[in-house]
Amino acid sequence: MNDIAEQAELGGLDFYTYPPVGGEDWGYAFATAQVRAIETQMLSRAVLLDMANAQNFEDAADLLTASEYALPQGSRNFTEVENILKLRRSAVRKLFADLMIDEPIAELFRARDDFANMRLAIRRTLTEKPLGTDYSDDGNVAAEQFEQVFEQENYSLLPDYMQQAVGRAVLAYYQKKDIRQIDYAIDSVQAEYNLQKARQLESVFLLGLFRTRIDLTNIRTMLRLKFAESDQRSVFLSGGYIEQQRLKHGLDIGYEAVGALFFATPYYEVVESGVNYFVSNKSFLKLEQQCEEHLTGFLRTTLQITAGPQPVIAYLLMKENEIRTVRLILTAKNSALETKLILDCLGE
Amino acid sequence: MDYGVALALVGAGLAALMAGIGSAIGIGIAGRSATGVLSEKPERYGQMFIMVVLPGTQGFYGFLAAFLVMLKLNFFGAGGVPELSVQIGWQVLAACLPIAFAGLMSAIHQGKVCAGGILMAAKRPEMAFKAGVVYAVMVEVYAVLGLLVTMFILLKGITWPTP
Repeated sequence: MNDIAEQAELGGLDFYTYPPVGGEDWGYAFATAQVRAIETQMLSRAVLLDMANAQNFEDAADLLTASEYALPQGSRNFTEVENILKLRRSAVRKLFADLMIDEPIAELFRARDDFANMRLAIRRTLTEKPLGTDYSDDGNVAAEQFEQVFEQENYSLLPDYMQQAVGRAVLAYYQKKDIRQIDYAIDSVQAEYNLQKARQLESVFLLGLFRTRIDLTNIRTMLRLKFAESDQRSVFLSGGYIEQQRLKHGLDIGYEAVGALFFATPYYEVVESGVNYFVSNKSFLKLEQQCEEHLTGFLRTTLQITAGPQPVIAYLLMKENEIRTVRLILTAKNSALETKLILDCLGE
Repeated sequence: MDYGVALALVGAGLAALMAGIGSAIGIGIAGRSATGVLSEKPERYGQMFIMVVLPGTQGFYGFLAAFLVMLKLNFFGAGGVPELSVQIGWQVLAACLPIAFAGLMSAIHQGKVCAGGILMAAKRPEMAFKAGVVYAVMVEVYAVLGLLVTMFILLKGITWPTP
């Protein structure tokens, strides 16, 4: 049995914390080395914590002066920050596309923006709101083409995976007249598309990454459904390591038993601390933070790879996460949110 | 040219060729990693240089073994190449194999170790010598052992004919 087939058959109990990341590919020696050099410029946890503990937005922004997110002299407004963060995100995605020798991998990661654009367009179309022009231009389908397709409702211009997503999302919405069904349907198509691509590319790492993400999404969905006391059991994504039966069982038991249900799985810590925080604070903040941390932990295991696409992909995802964290802290500071709340988002 | 000399020359050729291929691959791997780091941190050139050239030594060892065979065959001396029995020809060929194979494999693996060292030096320059170079030298030891065996056999294990 080859690596990819073995990986596809792994269950939640077949590895300790993180799934395998696959082998080396010496064609990526240059790309990996460049990424390792750039990684040293990433913001340390200490800087992020200092930003969270800063008195106000201006003080938090000042801590970024020595970094690539530095604001122009004298400028301290949030719009400026947004622009810089968008520029950094575009730059990191461009670098990723340049370094990625396997074009299908770059295409796969660009598809994330296609799905995000589509989610927005379908929501607006079905709720009869103006289509707008604020679509991301980082996807495989250009933003202008997107508007044109949805205005003319000519979906045949879209790639196959998107046509499928449009069909499933529209059908799911009209079956229950519930806007959340659009998200569930698109999440499902996106997860299937990711897994299918990872198998086609025979990438053990991508398969592990997407299966882990499916598990984390399912765990979040389970706790949200539980909180809403919803009886929808068909919304869990398939293809993860955790069996759907376990997730459905989680809906029927008390919060105190949910952690134990995941005891033998790699997600015990995530679920246990997420549920405990939810019970005492009625907030999913900790769960979200723990899910992010688990995924980051998996991405960090690519350190053992000297050359391969894995460290490059990990860099893209960790850098995007860093940009999101900077935005989160500065938004919170701009809105004068409590420091404790921000620190909870960042984790201990 | 007789059969024995042909076998000896195949041995010399293999030693230079295989160790040379290994070195080229090893330097290629380490070089690509080094350029990746240098594209962001050009000030690390000195540290990177040592680790890039280390896998090149096996190519020299192979060349040295081949040169020794040619010297023993009186390639560059007056009087021409002496006749060599088939048995001695096989002995020379066998003598060249340790450096040929040890050179090929160790250079490739040394290149990979150096690439790892280069990546580490990108993040922790103080460890570049301690881990990067020292670990690479440990791989080098086996190429040196291969060369020593080749040289011992060529110098002491074979009764060369006098020209």
